[in-house]
Amino acid sequence: MPTADDGTNRADPAAVRTAPAPHDGAATSEPAPPAGLAREETASQDAAPCAIEVRGLTFRYPGAEADTLRGVDLRIEAGDFVAVVGGNGSGKTTLCKTFNGLVPHFWNGDLAGSVRVNGRGTRKRSVAELAREVGYVFQDFGNQLVRATVRDDVAYAPLNLGLADWRERADDALAALGLEPYADQHIWSLSGGQQHLTALAGALALAPGILVVDEPAAEVDPVRAATIYDHLTRLNRERGVTVVVIEHHAELVATYARSVVLMDRGTVRWHLPTAEALARTADLEAADIPAPQVVAAARALVPEVAAGSTPVPLTVAECTEMLREAVRGLPPRHPFGEPAQIPAGQGTDGAVPARRASAGRDPDGAAAAAGRGPAGPTVPGAGDPASSSAHPAGPGPAAPIAALRGAGFSYRTVAGPRHRVLDRLDLEFRDGERVALVGSNGAGKSTLLRLLTGLALPDQGVVVVDGRDTRGVTAAELAGTVCHVGQRPEQMLLQDSVRADVAMFPRGRDLPDTDELVERVLERMDLTALADRDGRLLSGGQQRRTTLAIALAMRPQLLLLDEPTSSLDLRSRDDVIGLLNDLSEHIRCTVVATHDMHLVAEWARRVVVLDEGQVIADTDPASLFARPEILERARLLPPQIAQVGAALGLPHTALQVSDLIGMLGIPALADSPDASDAPDAVGPKEEHA
Amino acid sequence: MSARTGLDRSAVEWATLELMRVAYATRGGFLAVRDPRAVVWWYVIGAVVPWFTYDAGVLALLFGAALWAALAARIGPLLLGLFVLGILGDLVYLLVLLLVLREDPAAIGALVVPMLKLGTVSLVSMAAFASLDPEKISDALLAMRAPEIIGFAVSYGYRMIPVLVDEFRVIVDGHLLRGAPPRGPGFLGLRALVRVARILVRSFYPLILNTAKRTRTTVEALETRGFTATGAASGAGRALRLAHLRFTPSDGVLLAGTLVVVTFAYWAGPMLGLR
Repeated sequence: MPTADDGTNRADPAAVRTAPAPHDGAATSEPAPPAGLAREETASQDAAPCAIEVRGLTFRYPGAEADTLRGVDLRIEAGDFVAVVGGNGSGKTTLCKTFNGLVPHFWNGDLAGSVRVNGRGTRKRSVAELAREVGYVFQDFGNQLVRATVRDDVAYAPLNLGLADWRERADDALAALGLEPYADQHIWSLSGGQQHLTALAGALALAPGILVVDEPAAEVDPVRAATIYDHLTRLNRERGVTVVVIEHHAELVATYARSVVLMDRGTVRWHLPTAEALARTADLEAADIPAPQVVAAARALVPEVAAGSTPVPLTVAECTEMLREAVRGLPPRHPFGEPAQIPAGQGTDGAVPARRASAGRDPDGAAAAAGRGPAGPTVPGAGDPASSSAHPAGPGPAAPIAALRGAGFSYRTVAGPRHRVLDRLDLEFRDGERVALVGSNGAGKSTLLRLLTGLALPDQGVVVVDGRDTRGVTAAELAGTVCHVGQRPEQMLLQDSVRADVAMFPRGRDLPDTDELVERVLERMDLTALADRDGRLLSGGQQRRTTLAIALAMRPQLLLLDEPTSSLDLRSRDDVIGLLNDLSEHIRCTVVATHDMHLVAEWARRVVVLDEGQVIADTDPASLFARPEILERARLLPPQIAQVGAALGLPHTALQVSDLIGMLGIPALADSPDASDAPDAVGPKEEHA
Repeated sequence: MSARTGLDRSAVEWATLELMRVAYATRGGFLAVRDPRAVVWWYVIGAVVPWFTYDAGVLALLFGAALWAALAARIGPLLLGLFVLGILGDLVYLLVLLLVLREDPAAIGALVVPMLKLGTVSLVSMAAFASLDPEKISDALLAMRAPEIIGFAVSYGYRMIPVLVDEFRVIVDGHLLRGAPPRGPGFLGLRALVRVARILVRSFYPLILNTAKRTRTTVEALETRGFTATGAASGAGRALRLAHLRFTPSDGVLLAGTLVVVTFAYWAGPMLGLR
């Protein structure tokens, strides 16, 4: 692999020579320096060099046809907490890789302009040398870990660099992130969140003054994402570490970052303090970063915010305060929450009744009543799995498609004892349901999905799918009934074109209308243009779409999806949610295991909460978000809008910004986000019966 | 369709687990507590001495000692089972040869000797490598001044085992679920065999591609973690990494004892009267 060679030497020497010029040029060429940062920092710029200074940086990957970075100018002050945002392909990751010298020392493409870290250029310094100043945590952090145990891995970089105090450094880094209990565990036995912290500790062991973390929240549950951000915040405050994160989630940006860099097609559009940055909703929308819900709500409901005369709220608390002011004296239009309070576009065809109907399935029953309106008609029998399983399909309860009866699953660990993942579960999945399976990492969500496919067999009880005990049929025979889309889409792409992958199942079974079916599915999933490309080389969002197309072509009755929205930017995520809504016409029951509470709020009708192998709640999204004890136990974080609603003391849980607007009874301002937030209008079929 | 017992699944799981246990030396044993350099030297002795004799008696004693060492090093049921299966296969092969060719049974002796040699070497290898986790192997290699890349390859190879196994399982499952269903075993089970072979061949490319994609990050990360930094392999880094290795008297006893056993085998073997 390339290291430093002619690519570096070829670089424009003029840029290096001009680099030591006074910084003011950079400050003025910046559309807006991070003005809201501590004033003394701005004042003392001359004294202390800023952490990272990028000037006129243009970079093209070797063999690429276009520049990935085009004339980037950027200053990051020491001690800042910067979020780099932007759509897929905007050059965020490439920019961050210039900070630690991977560009241009490792990726030695064409480079012009300069990058200076702590006042010194990166061209003459090796990546390893820069690693002591810039720590880097990759997006797929699991592959960053190269040693067998946590302690070894954390000590790896200091050892390589020959630092005599490597042991203390490793211990420090482990202690700083609370990893001591795991220090002697094997890397592969860690959960995703622990692996992420290990990768972070490995970077921290060199005590860098700058830390770059690529998408810290992409693959972990919301509470663990918050844990990582809390660690970063503490490092930033207590140790003065400059933190740069690449982030898609505007909520996290709003909560943790002090300034925001917007990347757009290889350039920095602006670098602004967070409040100002988030007020520029149009720019963010254009870069596929929808505003956080608190910002959207405030813009829709508070005229001063919409006009730009008041800064946007960044946290739930700020938003609540602002809205409380705004609604003071205005009694809610519909204090008891009849369906009419839900804005048009929702609730006309059963969406709301469905939520209410399934609410009765709480195992502990009592708390479910809270947050449920009196008006919602209930589906008879849906609340009682025991009684309904006796009825066949027809008027009345929907037929169960799959059921777990006292089902459990355990596996043997390397150390010897068995680890129980699921413990005597009783669950039914019925016709027309949209089920979200939530819970912390390791709660047993993926295992439950595997049990339903027949790929794993229960060691307690039975799993019945489509009337057949999974022990009695092979997983291949069940494949026509149950389709499982795993967490990593590329694992499902087995053929050399999208079309061949979609056709694989129907062709393998010699179904008569295979060609027509495949074309129809490709058309529907908007994949016709990509049909002859190799699916494994597509972007993350396109790969997701391909896997959904594969699933659709299998025409399953039960569709199981594991984390369909993880690692996607928000535009692709919304696409996936939209597709899921479309799919409900074709698939009788969909079960999604997810950490994404927006997906839960916008798509699901029923939520099953797993914790340590047990179902601790089985309800609808609105009731779930109204139950703090369950949320805390399962490490769930409701969408901001639900938190605002709860803080305002609204009688019902708001699932979307439009719900909140409706409940508060304030006529929404002109640019209200209803349009983009409007929920699906597709109701489950059984509601019409 | 008869009921599935789940054996098909759990067998794969058990094999994977067993592999991990062997790879990471989780069972302990008399070699696992020794200095890795001593273990490597022990292995070298054990693997070399069988080749200096043609006496079946000496080889039988060496084989016996190696078998004891393998059991004492707790190589685990998977490796032992595979080994026994191999030996049994060889025996059956010998018998068939004997029956079909009606040769002089004495010719068997000529085959027993290499079999004992190979058996001894295999047992010694299993005992040594089931007792060394990847870190120990790479430390030992580094201490013996092997190129750093070899030590790293060992360590990283072990790290990738679970990843590869996982990836492979998911891809094969995908083929089984979405590919053409089996149409019965066919003549002598040939059709089923062909199906499995096709799946294995077709799994290869996605397996390698997916793994290669993961490795891209690893290579970049290695760069940022000083793997290629000058001095990592030779200078201060090496000294620091090896500082914890201690060659104790017990390690000396291990090697000396091994030499004693070998000498005894060479002395006593010919007296057994085996040719």
